[in-house]
Amino acid sequence: MPVEPSLPARRTASPRWLAFVLPVLAAVLLLVFPPFRVLPLKPGAAILDPAAAPVAFDAVTFSAVFWAAQLQPAAAVAPEWQPILVDLRRDPVAAAKQHGRQVGLGGPVYFFAQASGRVTAVERGRLLVAIDGEEGATVALRTGPVFGNTVRDGCGLLEVNRAPGLQEFNAISAELNRLVEERVLPVLKAGVVVGAHLTFAGCAEAPEKLGDGPLLTIIPVQAEVKP
Amino acid sequence: MKTARLPLLLSGLSLLAVLWLAACKPSAPAGSTAPAGKAPVAKRVAVIVSTLNNPWFVVLAETARDRAKALGYEATIFDSQNDPAKESQHFDNVISSGYGAVLFNCTDAKGSIANVRRAKAAGIPVFCMDREIEANDAAVSQILSDNYSGCVALGQYFVEQVGETGQYVELLGIVADTNTWNRSKGFHSVVDRFPGLKMVAQQSAEFDRSKALEVLESILQSHPDIGAVFCGNDAMAMGAYQALLAAGKATKVKVFGFDGADDVVRSVAEGKITATVMQFPKTMAKTAAEYADKYLKGGRDFPQRVPVAVELVNRETVAKFGDYGRKN
Repeated sequence: MPVEPSLPARRTASPRWLAFVLPVLAAVLLLVFPPFRVLPLKPGAAILDPAAAPVAFDAVTFSAVFWAAQLQPAAAVAPEWQPILVDLRRDPVAAAKQHGRQVGLGGPVYFFAQASGRVTAVERGRLLVAIDGEEGATVALRTGPVFGNTVRDGCGLLEVNRAPGLQEFNAISAELNRLVEERVLPVLKAGVVVGAHLTFAGCAEAPEKLGDGPLLTIIPVQAEVKP
Repeated sequence: MKTARLPLLLSGLSLLAVLWLAACKPSAPAGSTAPAGKAPVAKRVAVIVSTLNNPWFVVLAETARDRAKALGYEATIFDSQNDPAKESQHFDNVISSGYGAVLFNCTDAKGSIANVRRAKAAGIPVFCMDREIEANDAAVSQILSDNYSGCVALGQYFVEQVGETGQYVELLGIVADTNTWNRSKGFHSVVDRFPGLKMVAQQSAEFDRSKALEVLESILQSHPDIGAVFCGNDAMAMGAYQALLAAGKATKVKVFGFDGADDVVRSVAEGKITATVMQFPKTMAKTAAEYADKYLKGGRDFPQRVPVAVELVNRETVAKFGDYGRKN
Protein backbone atom coordinates (compact mmCIF):
# COMPACT_ATOMS: atom_id res chain seq x y z
CA MET A 1 0.00 0.00 0.00
CA PRO A 2 1.55 3.13 -1.06
CA VAL A 3 2.11 5.53 1.71
CA GLU A 4 1.49 9.15 1.07
CA PRO A 5 4.46 11.13 1.88
CA SER A 6 3.57 13.36 4.78
CA LEU A 7 3.95 17.01 4.32
CA PRO A 8 6.49 18.69 6.47
CA ALA A 9 4.81 20.63 9.32
CA ARG A 10 4.41 24.22 8.46
CA ARG A 11 6.34 26.39 10.89
CA THR A 12 4.44 29.48 11.84
CA ALA A 13 6.59 32.51 12.05
CA SER A 14 6.18 34.48 15.37
CA PRO A 15 5.21 38.08 15.00
CA ARG A 16 8.30 40.23 15.18
CA TRP A 17 6.82 42.49 17.82
CA LEU A 18 6.67 39.55 20.28
CA ALA A 19 10.45 39.41 20.41
CA PHE A 20 10.48 42.96 21.70
CA VAL A 21 7.38 42.98 23.91
CA LEU A 22 8.19 39.87 25.94
CA PRO A 23 11.63 41.02 27.15
CA VAL A 24 10.21 44.44 27.98
CA LEU A 25 7.37 42.78 29.93
CA ALA A 26 9.88 40.56 31.76
CA ALA A 27 12.05 43.56 32.59
CA VAL A 28 9.05 45.42 34.02
CA LEU A 29 8.03 42.41 36.09
CA LEU A 30 11.55 42.01 37.44
CA LEU A 31 11.63 45.67 38.32
CA VAL A 32 8.33 45.50 40.18
CA PHE A 33 8.92 42.08 41.75
CA PRO A 34 12.69 41.68 42.03
CA PRO A 35 13.80 38.07 42.57
CA PHE A 36 15.85 39.09 45.61
CA ARG A 37 16.46 42.13 47.73
CA VAL A 38 19.62 43.12 49.55
CA LEU A 39 18.86 43.84 53.18
CA PRO A 40 21.11 44.77 56.10
CA LEU A 41 21.69 41.90 58.53
CA LYS A 42 19.92 43.81 61.29
CA PRO A 43 16.87 45.66 60.02
CA GLY A 44 17.00 49.34 60.77
CA ALA A 45 20.73 49.46 61.46
CA ALA A 46 23.40 50.03 58.89
CA ILE A 47 26.16 47.68 59.91
CA LEU A 48 28.88 49.89 58.50
CA ASP A 49 27.72 52.86 60.51
CA PRO A 50 29.89 52.97 63.65
CA ALA A 51 27.15 54.81 65.50
CA ALA A 52 24.78 51.93 64.82
CA ALA A 53 27.24 49.20 65.76
CA PRO A 54 26.32 47.36 68.96
CA VAL A 55 28.24 48.72 71.93
CA ALA A 56 28.41 47.02 75.32
CA PHE A 57 26.22 48.90 77.76
CA ASP A 58 28.27 50.76 80.36
CA ALA A 59 26.15 51.20 83.47
CA VAL A 60 28.84 53.23 85.25
CA THR A 61 29.08 55.89 82.56
CA PHE A 62 25.35 55.89 81.93
CA SER A 63 24.58 56.36 85.63
CA ALA A 64 27.18 59.09 86.13
CA VAL A 65 25.76 61.09 83.23
CA PHE A 66 22.19 60.44 84.35
CA TRP A 67 23.02 61.49 87.90
CA ALA A 68 24.43 64.84 86.86
CA ALA A 69 22.26 65.68 83.88
CA GLN A 70 18.86 64.41 84.97
CA LEU A 71 18.57 63.24 88.57
CA GLN A 72 20.12 66.24 90.31
CA PRO A 73 18.16 68.86 88.33
CA ALA A 74 14.95 66.86 88.91
CA ALA A 75 15.66 66.65 92.65
CA ALA A 76 16.03 70.43 92.81
CA VAL A 77 12.49 70.92 91.48
CA ALA A 78 10.83 67.85 93.04
CA PRO A 79 7.50 68.40 94.84
CA GLU A 80 7.40 68.83 98.62
CA TRP A 81 7.14 65.87 100.98
CA GLN A 82 4.84 67.74 103.32
CA PRO A 83 1.52 67.38 101.38
CA ILE A 84 2.38 63.78 100.54
CA LEU A 85 2.87 62.99 104.23
CA VAL A 86 -0.40 64.72 105.14
CA ASP A 87 -2.26 62.49 102.67
CA LEU A 88 -0.26 59.43 103.69
CA ARG A 89 -1.29 59.82 107.34
CA ARG A 90 -4.91 60.16 106.25
CA ASP A 91 -5.08 57.29 103.74
CA PRO A 92 -1.94 55.48 102.50
CA VAL A 93 -3.70 53.88 99.53
CA ALA A 94 -5.19 57.15 98.30
CA ALA A 95 -1.87 58.96 98.84
CA ALA A 96 -0.07 56.35 96.75
CA LYS A 97 -2.59 56.80 93.95
CA GLN A 98 -2.40 60.56 94.05
CA HIS A 99 1.30 61.19 94.51
CA GLY A 100 3.08 57.95 93.59
CA ARG A 101 4.09 56.07 90.51
CA GLN A 102 4.00 52.32 90.00
CA VAL A 103 6.44 50.31 87.92
CA GLY A 104 5.33 47.21 86.00
CA LEU A 105 2.52 44.88 87.00
CA GLY A 106 1.72 44.94 90.70
CA GLY A 107 5.00 46.59 91.57
CA PRO A 108 5.58 48.93 94.51
CA VAL A 109 4.51 52.56 94.39
CA TYR A 110 7.24 55.17 94.78
CA PHE A 111 7.39 58.82 95.76
CA PHE A 112 10.07 61.34 94.80
CA ALA A 113 10.05 64.65 96.71
CA GLN A 114 12.05 67.15 98.76
CA ALA A 115 11.73 68.56 102.27
CA SER A 116 13.48 70.10 105.22
CA GLY A 117 13.36 68.88 108.77
CA ARG A 118 15.10 68.44 112.08
CA VAL A 119 16.97 65.29 113.14
CA THR A 120 15.25 63.62 116.10
CA ALA A 121 17.40 60.49 116.33
CA VAL A 122 20.62 59.11 114.92
CA GLU A 123 20.38 55.33 114.56
CA ARG A 124 22.45 52.62 112.90
CA GLY A 125 21.89 53.02 109.16
CA ARG A 126 19.34 55.84 109.40
CA LEU A 127 18.37 59.24 110.73
CA LEU A 128 14.90 60.03 111.98
CA VAL A 129 13.76 63.43 110.76
CA ALA A 130 10.71 65.48 111.82
CA ILE A 131 9.47 67.22 108.69
CA ASP A 132 9.02 70.99 108.88
CA GLY A 133 5.41 72.14 108.63
CA GLU A 134 3.80 68.82 109.52
CA GLU A 135 3.81 68.18 113.23
CA GLY A 136 4.30 64.55 114.16
CA ALA A 137 5.37 63.52 110.67
CA THR A 138 8.64 61.66 111.07
CA VAL A 139 10.48 59.92 108.27
CA ALA A 140 13.62 57.80 108.20
CA LEU A 141 16.49 58.95 106.05
CA ARG A 142 18.68 56.02 105.07
CA THR A 143 22.38 56.41 105.86
CA GLY A 144 23.41 52.75 105.72
CA PRO A 145 24.03 50.60 102.63
CA VAL A 146 21.54 51.27 99.86
CA PHE A 147 19.94 48.30 98.09
CA GLY A 148 17.24 47.69 95.53
CA ASN A 149 15.53 49.78 92.88
CA THR A 150 14.05 52.62 94.91
CA VAL A 151 16.21 55.34 93.36
CA ARG A 152 16.07 53.96 89.81
CA ASP A 153 12.32 53.37 89.79
CA GLY A 154 11.30 56.00 92.33
CA CYS A 155 12.68 59.02 90.51
CA GLY A 156 10.39 58.38 87.55
CA LEU A 157 13.05 59.33 85.03
CA LEU A 158 14.13 55.89 83.86
CA GLU A 159 12.07 53.37 81.96
CA VAL A 160 12.88 49.67 81.66
CA ASN A 161 12.55 49.65 77.89
CA ARG A 162 15.29 52.25 77.48
CA ALA A 163 17.85 49.68 78.65
CA PRO A 164 19.12 46.86 76.44
CA GLY A 165 17.82 44.26 78.89
CA LEU A 166 16.94 43.55 82.51
CA GLN A 167 20.52 42.79 83.51
CA GLU A 168 21.63 46.20 82.26
CA PHE A 169 18.65 47.89 83.90
CA ASN A 170 19.55 46.22 87.19
CA ALA A 171 23.16 47.31 86.79
CA ILE A 172 21.90 50.91 86.66
CA SER A 173 20.22 50.36 90.03
CA ALA A 174 23.39 49.05 91.61
CA GLU A 175 25.39 51.97 90.24
CA LEU A 176 22.89 54.63 91.32
CA ASN A 177 22.91 53.11 94.81
CA ARG A 178 26.69 53.31 94.83
CA LEU A 179 26.53 56.98 93.81
CA VAL A 180 24.12 57.70 96.68
CA GLU A 181 26.55 56.08 99.10
CA GLU A 182 29.53 57.89 97.61
CA ARG A 183 28.08 61.36 97.10
CA VAL A 184 25.19 61.86 99.49
CA LEU A 185 25.50 59.67 102.54
CA PRO A 186 28.85 61.10 103.71
CA VAL A 187 27.09 64.47 104.17
CA LEU A 188 24.53 62.84 106.47
CA LYS A 189 26.99 60.70 108.39
CA ALA A 190 29.62 63.34 109.09
CA GLY A 191 28.83 64.80 112.45
CA VAL A 192 25.04 65.02 112.13
CA VAL A 193 23.59 65.15 115.62
CA VAL A 194 20.11 65.29 117.06
CA GLY A 195 18.71 68.76 116.46
CA ALA A 196 20.56 69.33 113.18
CA HIS A 197 18.49 70.90 110.43
CA LEU A 198 18.54 69.23 107.00
CA THR A 199 17.23 69.84 103.52
CA PHE A 200 17.06 66.84 101.28
CA ALA A 201 15.40 65.23 98.27
CA GLY A 202 14.90 61.53 97.82
CA CYS A 203 12.86 58.53 96.82
CA ALA A 204 10.79 56.20 98.97
CA GLU A 205 8.55 53.18 98.58
CA ALA A 206 4.97 53.84 99.62
CA PRO A 207 3.91 51.78 102.62
CA GLU A 208 0.84 49.55 102.26
CA LYS A 209 -0.20 50.57 105.77
CA LEU A 210 1.29 52.71 108.49
CA GLY A 211 3.12 51.24 111.47
CA ASP A 212 4.27 52.78 114.72
CA GLY A 213 7.62 53.96 113.39
CA PRO A 214 8.54 56.55 110.77
CA LEU A 215 6.01 57.05 107.97
CA LEU A 216 8.47 55.82 105.36
CA THR A 217 12.16 55.35 104.61
CA ILE A 218 13.64 57.82 102.14
CA ILE A 219 16.80 57.22 100.16
CA PRO A 220 18.34 60.66 99.72
CA VAL A 221 19.77 61.73 96.37
CA GLN A 222 20.52 65.26 97.61
CA ALA A 223 21.18 66.40 101.15
CA GLU A 224 22.52 69.45 102.92
CA VAL A 225 23.05 70.07 106.61
CA LYS A 226 22.11 73.60 107.60
CA PRO A 227 24.24 75.35 110.16
CA MET B 1 17.48 33.05 11.33
CA LYS B 2 14.67 34.93 13.02
CA THR B 3 12.69 31.79 13.79
CA ALA B 4 15.78 30.00 15.07
CA ARG B 5 16.22 32.63 17.77
CA LEU B 6 12.69 32.33 19.14
CA PRO B 7 13.09 29.09 21.18
CA LEU B 8 16.17 30.56 22.81
CA LEU B 9 14.27 33.70 23.64
CA LEU B 10 11.34 31.75 25.06
CA SER B 11 13.67 29.58 27.16
CA GLY B 12 15.28 32.68 28.60
CA LEU B 13 11.89 34.18 29.36
CA SER B 14 10.75 30.94 31.02
CA LEU B 15 13.81 30.99 33.23
CA LEU B 16 13.14 34.60 34.18
CA ALA B 17 9.50 33.76 34.86
CA VAL B 18 10.55 30.94 37.21
CA LEU B 19 12.88 33.32 39.04
CA TRP B 20 10.13 35.91 39.24
CA LEU B 21 7.59 33.42 40.59
CA ALA B 22 10.09 32.25 43.19
CA ALA B 23 10.66 35.85 44.22
CA CYS B 24 6.93 36.42 44.67
CA LYS B 25 6.79 34.05 47.67
CA PRO B 26 6.54 35.77 51.02
CA SER B 27 9.96 36.04 52.58
CA ALA B 28 10.73 33.37 55.13
CA PRO B 29 14.06 33.02 56.86
CA ALA B 30 16.38 30.18 56.03
CA GLY B 31 15.40 27.00 57.75
CA SER B 32 11.75 27.91 58.09
CA THR B 33 9.36 25.14 57.27
CA ALA B 34 6.42 27.47 56.99
CA PRO B 35 4.47 26.66 53.86
CA ALA B 36 4.47 29.57 51.46
CA GLY B 37 1.30 31.50 51.21
CA LYS B 38 -0.39 29.74 54.13
CA ALA B 39 -1.68 32.46 56.40
CA PRO B 40 -1.45 31.86 60.16
CA VAL B 41 -4.65 30.56 61.62
CA ALA B 42 -5.45 33.24 64.17
CA LYS B 43 -7.58 30.94 66.28
CA ARG B 44 -4.75 28.69 67.45
CA VAL B 45 -2.27 29.62 70.14
CA ALA B 46 0.84 27.61 71.02
CA VAL B 47 2.26 27.57 74.54
CA ILE B 48 5.92 26.55 74.31
CA VAL B 49 7.35 25.99 77.78
CA SER B 50 10.92 25.20 78.84
CA THR B 51 9.93 22.22 81.00
CA LEU B 52 6.95 20.51 82.53
CA ASN B 53 9.19 18.68 84.97
CA ASN B 54 8.71 21.45 87.54
CA PRO B 55 5.28 22.23 88.98
CA TRP B 56 5.88 25.97 88.72
CA PHE B 57 6.20 25.75 84.94
CA VAL B 58 3.18 23.47 84.75
CA VAL B 59 1.17 26.24 86.41
CA LEU B 60 2.64 28.82 84.01
CA ALA B 61 1.85 26.73 80.91
CA GLU B 62 -1.58 25.56 81.97
CA THR B 63 -2.66 29.05 83.02
CA ALA B 64 -1.53 30.44 79.64
CA ARG B 65 -3.36 27.67 77.82
CA ASP B 66 -6.54 28.08 79.88
CA ARG B 67 -6.59 31.86 79.50
CA ALA B 68 -6.12 31.52 75.73
CA LYS B 69 -8.99 29.04 75.63
CA ALA B 70 -11.17 31.35 77.68
CA LEU B 71 -10.46 34.06 75.11
CA GLY B 72 -11.75 31.79 72.37
CA TYR B 73 -8.61 30.13 71.00
CA GLU B 74 -7.54 26.54 70.56
CA ALA B 75 -4.42 26.24 72.70
CA THR B 76 -1.75 23.55 72.82
CA ILE B 77 1.19 23.14 75.20
CA PHE B 78 4.59 22.10 73.82
CA ASP B 79 7.19 20.88 76.36
CA SER B 80 10.80 21.70 75.39
CA GLN B 81 12.18 19.51 78.22
CA ASN B 82 14.91 22.10 78.80
CA ASP B 83 16.34 21.13 75.41
CA PRO B 84 16.94 23.95 72.89
CA ALA B 85 16.81 21.45 70.01
CA LYS B 86 13.34 20.31 71.05
CA GLU B 87 12.27 23.92 71.40
CA SER B 88 13.46 24.61 67.86
CA GLN B 89 11.43 21.63 66.58
CA HIS B 90 8.37 22.98 68.36
CA PHE B 91 8.79 26.29 66.55
CA ASP B 92 9.12 24.43 63.22
CA ASN B 93 5.90 22.64 64.00
CA VAL B 94 4.10 25.78 65.14
CA ILE B 95 5.17 27.72 62.04
CA SER B 96 4.28 24.98 59.59
CA SER B 97 0.95 24.34 61.32
CA GLY B 98 -0.05 27.97 61.04
CA TYR B 99 -0.56 28.92 64.67
CA GLY B 100 -1.66 32.49 65.28
CA ALA B 101 0.57 33.29 68.26
CA VAL B 102 3.13 31.77 70.63
CA LEU B 103 3.18 32.20 74.40
CA PHE B 104 6.78 31.37 75.09
CA ASN B 105 8.96 30.37 78.02
CA CYS B 106 12.45 29.95 76.58
CA THR B 107 15.23 27.48 77.30
CA ASP B 108 18.08 29.86 76.51
CA ALA B 109 18.15 33.66 76.67
CA LYS B 110 20.43 33.92 73.65
CA GLY B 111 19.91 30.62 71.84
CA SER B 112 16.13 30.99 71.68
CA ILE B 113 16.26 34.34 69.87
CA ALA B 114 16.58 32.63 66.47
CA ASN B 115 13.37 30.68 67.07
CA VAL B 116 11.48 33.84 67.96
CA ARG B 117 12.83 35.59 64.89
CA ARG B 118 11.72 32.69 62.66
CA ALA B 119 8.22 32.89 64.05
CA LYS B 120 8.21 36.66 63.59
CA ALA B 121 9.34 36.27 59.98
CA ALA B 122 6.46 33.87 59.44
CA GLY B 123 4.07 36.47 60.81
CA ILE B 124 3.53 34.74 64.16
CA PRO B 125 3.82 37.05 67.19
CA VAL B 126 5.67 35.71 70.22
CA PHE B 127 5.03 36.77 73.83
CA CYS B 128 7.67 35.73 76.36
CA MET B 129 6.66 34.67 79.84
CA ASP B 130 8.93 34.64 82.88
CA ARG B 131 12.19 34.05 81.00
CA GLU B 132 13.78 36.83 79.00
CA ILE B 133 15.32 36.57 75.55
CA GLU B 134 18.21 38.96 75.07
CA ALA B 135 16.78 40.85 72.10
CA ASN B 136 14.51 43.85 71.95
CA ASP B 137 13.24 43.39 68.41
CA ALA B 138 12.13 39.77 68.26
CA ALA B 139 9.26 39.14 70.69
CA VAL B 140 6.27 41.46 70.69
CA SER B 141 6.47 41.72 74.47
CA GLN B 142 8.20 40.03 77.41
CA ILE B 143 6.36 39.67 80.70
CA LEU B 144 9.03 38.97 83.30
CA SER B 145 9.36 38.63 87.05
CA ASP B 146 11.40 41.33 88.74
CA ASN B 147 13.93 38.76 89.93
CA TYR B 148 16.55 41.28 90.96
CA SER B 149 14.23 43.13 93.35
CA GLY B 150 13.03 39.83 94.79
CA CYS B 151 16.54 38.73 95.56
CA VAL B 152 17.46 42.10 97.05
CA ALA B 153 14.62 41.56 99.53
CA LEU B 154 15.66 37.94 100.03
CA GLY B 155 19.29 39.00 100.55
CA GLN B 156 18.28 41.49 103.24
CA TYR B 157 16.25 38.81 105.01
CA PHE B 158 19.16 36.37 104.60
CA VAL B 159 21.44 38.76 106.50
CA GLU B 160 18.81 39.24 109.22
CA GLN B 161 18.42 35.47 109.67
CA VAL B 162 21.96 34.21 109.16
CA GLY B 163 23.73 37.19 110.69
CA GLU B 164 26.64 39.19 109.38
CA THR B 165 29.16 36.37 109.64
CA GLY B 166 29.20 32.75 108.52
CA GLN B 167 29.67 30.45 105.56
CA TYR B 168 27.10 29.80 102.89
CA VAL B 169 26.62 28.05 99.55
CA GLU B 170 24.86 29.31 96.43
CA LEU B 171 23.15 26.91 94.03
CA LEU B 172 22.73 28.61 90.66
CA GLY B 173 20.09 27.81 88.06
CA ILE B 174 20.68 27.31 84.34
CA VAL B 175 23.63 29.51 83.46
CA ALA B 176 22.21 30.45 80.04
CA ASP B 177 19.08 31.88 81.66
CA THR B 178 19.17 35.57 82.59
CA ASN B 179 16.86 34.83 85.55
CA THR B 180 19.75 32.91 87.11
CA TRP B 181 21.99 35.97 87.02
CA ASN B 182 19.36 38.56 87.88
CA ARG B 183 18.61 36.55 91.03
CA SER B 184 22.24 35.97 91.87
CA LYS B 185 23.17 39.62 91.34
CA GLY B 186 20.24 40.89 93.39
CA PHE B 187 21.23 38.58 96.25
CA HIS B 188 24.91 39.49 96.08
CA SER B 189 24.16 43.23 95.83
CA VAL B 190 23.17 42.89 99.48
CA VAL B 191 25.11 39.97 100.95
CA ASP B 192 28.47 40.97 99.50
CA ARG B 193 28.29 44.16 101.58
CA PHE B 194 28.90 42.04 104.65
CA PRO B 195 32.48 40.79 104.44
CA GLY B 196 31.92 38.37 107.32
CA LEU B 197 29.57 36.32 105.10
CA LYS B 198 31.72 33.94 103.05
CA MET B 199 30.40 32.07 100.03
CA VAL B 200 32.39 28.81 100.16
CA ALA B 201 30.85 27.24 97.04
CA GLN B 202 28.80 28.43 94.09
CA GLN B 203 27.64 25.76 91.67
CA SER B 204 24.87 25.26 89.12
CA ALA B 205 22.22 22.63 89.79
CA GLU B 206 20.29 23.76 86.70
CA PHE B 207 17.06 24.57 88.55
CA ASP B 208 16.66 20.82 89.16
CA ARG B 209 15.71 19.22 92.45
CA SER B 210 17.66 15.98 92.11
CA LYS B 211 20.75 17.77 90.80
CA ALA B 212 20.59 20.15 93.77
CA LEU B 213 20.49 17.15 96.11
CA GLU B 214 23.58 15.64 94.48
CA VAL B 215 25.49 18.94 94.28
CA LEU B 216 24.87 19.87 97.90
CA GLU B 217 25.72 16.37 99.13
CA SER B 218 29.06 16.74 97.40
CA ILE B 219 29.66 20.26 98.74
CA LEU B 220 28.85 19.18 102.30
CA GLN B 221 31.74 16.71 102.14
CA SER B 222 34.23 19.55 101.83
CA HIS B 223 32.28 22.27 103.67
CA PRO B 224 30.47 20.68 106.59
CA ASP B 225 30.18 23.94 108.57
CA ILE B 226 27.95 26.01 106.31
CA GLY B 227 25.14 27.97 107.91
CA ALA B 228 22.95 28.64 104.89
CA VAL B 229 22.16 27.72 101.29
CA PHE B 230 20.79 30.23 98.80
CA CYS B 231 19.06 28.48 95.90
CA GLY B 232 18.07 30.16 92.63
CA ASN B 233 14.70 28.40 92.62
CA ASP B 234 12.39 26.39 94.85
CA ALA B 235 13.00 23.02 93.20
CA MET B 236 16.68 23.33 94.14
CA ALA B 237 15.71 24.51 97.63
CA MET B 238 13.75 21.29 98.14
CA GLY B 239 16.68 19.23 96.83
CA ALA B 240 19.06 21.11 99.13
CA TYR B 241 16.75 20.53 102.08
CA GLN B 242 16.68 16.79 101.33
CA ALA B 243 20.49 16.70 101.25
CA LEU B 244 20.66 18.52 104.59
CA LEU B 245 18.04 16.19 106.06
CA ALA B 246 20.07 13.17 104.98
CA ALA B 247 23.21 14.72 106.50
CA GLY B 248 21.43 15.49 109.78
CA LYS B 249 21.87 19.24 109.29
CA ALA B 250 18.35 20.31 108.35
CA THR B 251 17.78 22.20 111.59
CA LYS B 252 21.19 23.89 111.55
CA VAL B 253 21.43 25.13 107.98
CA LYS B 254 18.97 27.72 106.67
CA VAL B 255 17.65 27.22 103.14
CA PHE B 256 16.42 30.05 100.93
CA GLY B 257 14.58 29.52 97.64
CA PHE B 258 12.86 31.50 94.91
CA ASP B 259 9.55 30.92 93.05
CA GLY B 260 6.80 30.52 95.62
CA ALA B 261 6.08 26.90 94.69
CA ASP B 262 3.34 25.36 96.82
CA ASP B 263 5.54 22.74 98.51
CA VAL B 264 8.09 25.37 99.50
CA VAL B 265 5.46 27.81 100.76
CA ARG B 266 4.18 24.97 102.96
CA SER B 267 7.76 24.26 104.06
CA VAL B 268 8.23 27.92 104.99
CA ALA B 269 5.10 27.71 107.13
CA GLU B 270 6.48 24.56 108.78
CA GLY B 271 9.88 26.18 109.38
CA LYS B 272 11.80 23.79 107.11
CA ILE B 273 12.69 26.39 104.49
CA THR B 274 13.57 29.86 105.83
CA ALA B 275 12.18 31.96 102.98
CA THR B 276 11.32 32.08 99.32
CA VAL B 277 10.13 34.75 96.92
CA MET B 278 6.68 34.54 95.39
CA GLN B 279 6.63 35.01 91.66
CA PHE B 280 3.25 35.23 90.07
CA PRO B 281 3.17 32.71 87.21
CA LYS B 282 -0.56 33.05 86.76
CA THR B 283 -0.30 36.83 86.36
CA MET B 284 2.46 36.47 83.77
CA ALA B 285 0.67 33.72 81.84
CA LYS B 286 -2.68 35.51 81.78
CA THR B 287 -1.06 38.78 80.71
CA ALA B 288 0.78 37.04 77.86
CA ALA B 289 -2.43 35.38 76.63
CA GLU B 290 -4.33 38.66 76.83
CA TYR B 291 -1.59 40.51 74.96
CA ALA B 292 -1.70 37.83 72.23
CA ASP B 293 -5.46 38.24 71.99
CA LYS B 294 -5.11 42.02 71.67
CA TYR B 295 -2.43 41.60 69.03
CA LEU B 296 -4.52 39.20 66.99
CA LYS B 297 -7.35 41.70 67.14
CA GLY B 298 -5.16 44.41 65.70
CA GLY B 299 -3.38 45.91 68.71
CA ARG B 300 0.24 46.85 68.12
CA ASP B 301 1.20 49.05 71.07
CA PHE B 302 2.96 46.76 73.56
CA PRO B 303 5.86 47.49 75.91
CA GLN B 304 8.88 45.33 75.09
CA ARG B 305 9.43 44.37 78.75
CA VAL B 306 6.87 44.32 81.53
CA PRO B 307 8.33 43.65 84.98
CA VAL B 308 6.00 41.77 87.30
CA ALA B 309 6.38 42.37 91.03
CA VAL B 310 7.52 39.58 93.36
CA GLU B 311 7.14 39.31 97.14
CA LEU B 312 9.16 37.88 99.99
CA VAL B 313 7.59 34.85 101.69
CA ASN B 314 8.84 34.16 105.21
CA ARG B 315 7.27 32.94 108.44
CA GLU B 316 5.77 36.39 109.08
CA THR B 317 4.16 36.75 105.64
CA VAL B 318 3.51 33.14 104.57
CA ALA B 319 -0.16 33.18 105.61
CA LYS B 320 -0.86 35.65 102.81
CA PHE B 321 0.33 33.27 100.08
CA GLY B 322 -0.74 30.04 98.44
CA ASP B 323 -1.66 28.46 95.12
CA TYR B 324 1.13 30.31 93.32
CA GLY B 325 0.04 33.75 94.35
CA ARG B 326 -1.57 35.86 97.05
CA LYS B 327 -4.59 34.36 98.76
CA ASN B 328 -7.75 36.30 98.09
